[in-house]
Amino acid sequence: MELTRRDFLKISGSSAAGAVLFAGCTPPEHEWKLESPVLLPEDTLTSFENWYASVCRQCEAGCGIITRVVEGRAKKIEGNPLHPLNRGKLCARGEAGLQALYHPDRLRTPLRRTGPRGMGQYQIISWDEALNELVSRLKDQQAQGSAGAVALVTGPLRGLEAHLVTRFARAYGATSLAYAPLEETALQAALKQLFGQDTYPVFDIARANYILSFGANFLEPWISQVHYNRAYGEFRQGQRTQRGYLVQVEPRLSTTAANADEWVPVTPGTEGVLALSIAYVLIDRRLASPTVAQAMTGGAGVQGLGAFRPEEASRITGVPAERIEAIAKALAERRPALVLGGLGPAGHTNGLFNLTAIYALNFLLESVGRPGGVLLNPAPPTPELAARAPASPFLEWQRFAERLRTKQPRPVNILMVHDANPLYGLPPAVQFGEGLKNVPVIISFSSFMDETTAMADLILPDSTYLESWGESIPDPGPGFQAVGFQQPVVKPYFSTRSFTDVLLTVAGELGGQAKEELPWNTYKDALRETAQRLFRLNRGSIRKPDFESFWNTLLQEGGWRDEQATAPRVDLRLPVLARQSQPPQFSGTDKDYPFYLHVFASAGLSDGRGAHLPWLQMTPDPTTTIMWQSWVEMNPRTAAALGLRENDVVVVESPQGRLETMLYLYPAIPPGVVAMPTGQGHTYLGRYAEKRGANPLSILAPMATAEGGALAWGATRVRISKTGRQYPLPKLEGSVPAVQPEDYTIIPVTDLRTR
Amino acid sequence: MAEERKWGMVVDIDRCTGCQACVIACQTENNILMSSEDIVQQKRAMVWIRIERYWEGEYPNIKARFIPVLCQHCENAPCEPVCPVYATYHNNEGLNVQVYNRCVGTRYCANNCPYHARVFNYWERHTAAPHMQVYPADARAAEPMNEYLNPDVTVRTKGLMEKCTFCLQRIRRVSRQATVEGRAIADGEVQPACVQSCPTGALVFGDLRDARSQVSKLAGDQRAYHLLEDLGTRPAVTYLKKVDPNARATSPSH
Ligand code: SF4
Ligand code: SF4
Ligand code: SF4
Repeated sequence: MELTRRDFLKISGSSAAGAVLFAGCTPPEHEWKLESPVLLPEDTLTSFENWYASVCRQCEAGCGIITRVVEGRAKKIEGNPLHPLNRGKLCARGEAGLQALYHPDRLRTPLRRTGPRGMGQYQIISWDEALNELVSRLKDQQAQGSAGAVALVTGPLRGLEAHLVTRFARAYGATSLAYAPLEETALQAALKQLFGQDTYPVFDIARANYILSFGANFLEPWISQVHYNRAYGEFRQGQRTQRGYLVQVEPRLSTTAANADEWVPVTPGTEGVLALSIAYVLIDRRLASPTVAQAMTGGAGVQGLGAFRPEEASRITGVPAERIEAIAKALAERRPALVLGGLGPAGHTNGLFNLTAIYALNFLLESVGRPGGVLLNPAPPTPELAARAPASPFLEWQRFAERLRTKQPRPVNILMVHDANPLYGLPPAVQFGEGLKNVPVIISFSSFMDETTAMADLILPDSTYLESWGESIPDPGPGFQAVGFQQPVVKPYFSTRSFTDVLLTVAGELGGQAKEELPWNTYKDALRETAQRLFRLNRGSIRKPDFESFWNTLLQEGGWRDEQATAPRVDLRLPVLARQSQPPQFSGTDKDYPFYLHVFASAGLSDGRGAHLPWLQMTPDPTTTIMWQSWVEMNPRTAAALGLRENDVVVVESPQGRLETMLYLYPAIPPGVVAMPTGQGHTYLGRYAEKRGANPLSILAPMATAEGGALAWGATRVRISKTGRQYPLPKLEGSVPAVQPEDYTIIPVTDLRTR
Repeated sequence: MAEERKWGMVVDIDRCTGCQACVIACQTENNILMSSEDIVQQKRAMVWIRIERYWEGEYPNIKARFIPVLCQHCENAPCEPVCPVYATYHNNEGLNVQVYNRCVGTRYCANNCPYHARVFNYWERHTAAPHMQVYPADARAAEPMNEYLNPDVTVRTKGLMEKCTFCLQRIRRVSRQATVEGRAIADGEVQPACVQSCPTGALVFGDLRDARSQVSKLAGDQRAYHLLEDLGTRPAVTYLKKVDPNARATSPSH
């Protein structure tokens, strides 16, 4: 008989031998086994836990969360199973929210600048002092008749918060702008044009049979990573009769492309041409309904699209003609088919052309309004929840920076910034930093010392989302009306106040029209009023005889939804396909700058707003497994031809500037393209973010989409040169098998602390 | 004691997108030391579940594949017999458990684990404070980040081996609750942190001894396989193959 050690222990545990070992006591039976002479620490649960529902604010989607609270401290964030957007699931960024709450570098009290700007010399002041200063400065401007010289900058806002901020700006007379580095304005414009909605429609990934995605990185930080990942799981293995098929078209193999059944590399900025060529094949081979085809070509039929014959398109896009035909045929055969477009095609000067061409394919395939295609979302249940302050397009920001710099047509005397960091994200070519020098007073409401806040004269730190009230209409909506309610799951840990409460206090102090427009004392009051409206609708997931029990259930469940309240059926007008292509413009010639710079959103840090959280810094990039750093990806053959090796520190230079970062040999990128993730390269934002890696946005040309003026982050060409230095990229790759890597023959265990 | 349950997991590679939600969920649940940049550079990153990435093919016909790897809770675990102090053992619910207060840090178990599931604490926790100003070798020590530590999970110190526990504390909490309520544990009631977070539903956890549990059903799927099956470790984690409609049929061997 073969005796494993475990068997032996089992035997000995109940034999005389065991009794000798533990002579003198008679332990209970289970103690005879080796597993419990010492109780495992994990066997003793010490805590009494409470779970509170709220809303995640780590990105703009608005997933529902539940937070585990033990003795007044938040311990774990999970998805709220009742929330229709994420149904109990969450992404890495959502999980990491705890670190924003208990971050050692949070701004803990109001601060007033004492030294020169940007030198970090501040004095701690009380909230009364801070509010007095803020109010008196605003009153001064009013008295001088220059309320218009006050600007309020926020992140993109929706719902009640947007409602309050726009009302405040209007009542006071201030300019208001919203900022997001990778703005979705081009996408939103295209969707509005085609589907007539300001909000995202439902991309019904879960029930699609075939998805053709043009750079829509829906499995990564894009619109709603959790919602789309969840749907993707169903798309693959949750449908009873089919396994969905995914084709990803983009210059670089992203995490989404890595999961696709086919990756189609395409010349950057030519995605629209490819889409129109697919339309050509669909119409020419009679794979699309003739009436739809007739309408979408403005009656011209396939002749109208002559410029996009696969042979022509192949030359432009670099995708072989046969492949274009094959994709078109598969699209037509495997219905319902869904066509998506994302950051890649959007980030070119012809972004709107690309996106409208791409999303129009859904009409040609008759996927609009069909399960497995594009479905519409209903309007929010109450008017104030429908308010929106979306990101202002890049061009507007460029104009604003110019206004700051030239003080024309009028100066900005007070700049208030909340939840936005334009100094980090705007390409230096627009000289926003220069402009800030002309602003006499900068006031920040940030929770962290980010780049823009570091220029502030007065800081009134915001509480984190886990400490404040709020609400969020999920965007993308789930196809029916839903509202997530955010409640403080713990008391503010530091002396911070939520921005919305501060705004209401200020409005009250200002009096007059501001007070009239914003009559509430606290944000919670405003929120309860919205909840009253929901209560009076008397429909949906919560129906109660009185408001208080409605309110309590609302907070307990983390929101309200009405699955019956779907979008009314509308017959959308069929879009007419473009007859002419719009070639993308680039900054830098291909002779001097041989590479396209492809910028993509970092898996952990997204556009840079997560860089202060160490958990997100150590979230490995899925395809390269790199953590804590930035890098530039290059095809190994190209690198070999240039004499470059992995871990080489290289200079990435555009006509607008240069940066240094490490080279990563990426086998899934075309020879003429290099790629860099966003997110690193902070000069501020706390100990985990500062002086780490490089920010590709800092070398972008200030180019915008021809229509709509969104930032064309793909329109910059670069060249790469050696510095002669090397720096080992911190990555998981190569850790297994766990042999000693060559570059690290000696491991200085104790020296670690002195690094 | 009757061996009533055998906990197991199924990982569906066809669903997994490599999104890393499980990785961070495990970090937050289990008080794992945060691997600073230099720790990662030394290839000593502290992770209990990692997403391995494999390249297949060559440009332009190249693919990347993701495989989440965690402790397989082998029924015939190579890590167990080599430990001189019995710090690692198999409990009666099928878990491979690490007893921290027995571990003396020989690291034999890690050498013998074919899945590289075990990670070793090379770093002192309490002396990390000055270092903390620059590098978060262990941000658990950076006040007030210690506030979010899970009170149900021990904080491990230098010299200890650790690895995935199948979130033992969560199993305990649910079984205690079930005992209090005088009922059996329902299928799907125990969700380790990684399983709970996984948005694609790639991870499923449950009792392999219950034939009706979802995990048992999936483990019997035709796509099922085990990592390094030939070694005979009999893992409690079953993988479901990726479906690749474009895979060229490998020609029969003759
Ligand atoms: S959370 Fe799920 S889908 Fe994401 S990497 Fe982990 S196992 Fe894969
Ligand atoms: S995977 Fe490794 S650590 Fe886990 S039980 Fe098997 S041998 Fe032991
Ligand atoms: S079961 Fe728990 S300990 Fe194991 S990998 Fe998942 S989260 Fe980590």
